[in-house]
Amino acid sequence: MAFVKVAARDTQQDTANPRALEYDALELQLHDESADVRRWAARDLVDCPSASRMLVGRLHEEGDASVREVILTALTIRGDDIAMTGLVECLRSEHVSLRNEAVEAMKQLPEKMAPIIRELLGDPDPDVRIFAVNILESLRHPEVESWLISVIETDPELNVCATAVDLLGEVGSPAARLPLHRIKERYADVPYIQFAAEVALSRLGGE
Amino acid sequence: MKRILIVDDAGTVRMYHRKILESAGFAVEEAVNGIEAIEKSLQRAFDLYIVDVNMPKLDGYGFLRELREQKLAQVPAIMVSTEAESADQSQAYAAGANAYLIKPVKPDELKSLVKLLIGEPR
Repeated sequence: MAFVKVAARDTQQDTANPRALEYDALELQLHDESADVRRWAARDLVDCPSASRMLVGRLHEEGDASVREVILTALTIRGDDIAMTGLVECLRSEHVSLRNEAVEAMKQLPEKMAPIIRELLGDPDPDVRIFAVNILESLRHPEVESWLISVIETDPELNVCATAVDLLGEVGSPAARLPLHRIKERYADVPYIQFAAEVALSRLGGE
Repeated sequence: MKRILIVDDAGTVRMYHRKILESAGFAVEEAVNGIEAIEKSLQRAFDLYIVDVNMPKLDGYGFLRELREQKLAQVPAIMVSTEAESADQSQAYAAGANAYLIKPVKPDELKSLVKLLIGEPR
């Protein structure tokens, strides 16, 4: 399909815009049999105006971890709406490596993630909410603690709360003490929550 | 003493599993992802692995596949995950897990399963 698109392009336009031809060639190379060629194409596409669309499209098909890494890096460099939407969609993938790689990539984008993290924390899929909490770990945003407290106070899923409790122990302040005591009461019969909340409380100080 | 490697990127989870297993008499070491787990496995022998699914760098499935391709193919592994669907469990067994536990694990459940797989600590 991409070859047909190149052949059909107006010759005069191509002469006027040689970069367009170059980008068409890179898009083809993004689907090459050789992982080396795909990796270089992903790297070189980063300046192309429509790169995010091409890279996101390739990301879900790409089987080579080293190529995915370059694609994800390119998407984090671009950081536009298409790139961000593409990264968020990875959280719903059945491909475990892709999901985890996307989480790590999104941790590199605190300013871009902050506006959408609240939406992710309210996602109907508890796995997505767990990934959102994991992303909060490196967000360095002033509301991180209040978001985590909100999670442990309101989220109906045990494992989402457990992940938030873990993180509160690392980034929380004494303001998290009362919510941690409350979640201990709420999950009084869950040994892990008892353990994790105690660990968090011991780290927070303030008592 | 039998030695268990806990592979999980969540520090509190590693502490929790360590506490349970050490209280049962096992020796425990930790790795924060699949890459570190492979490195530790090449340095010393373990009797059992307890492996999280979602980890950066090399996830639990990837680690188990690597493990099963090496000389450590016979060492039993328990996969732990927040994902309770049967498809996730099937994927774990296909990757080489001997058992699958849903997080958060209960202490008695973990101890019983470990003893079932590798027997008493000594």
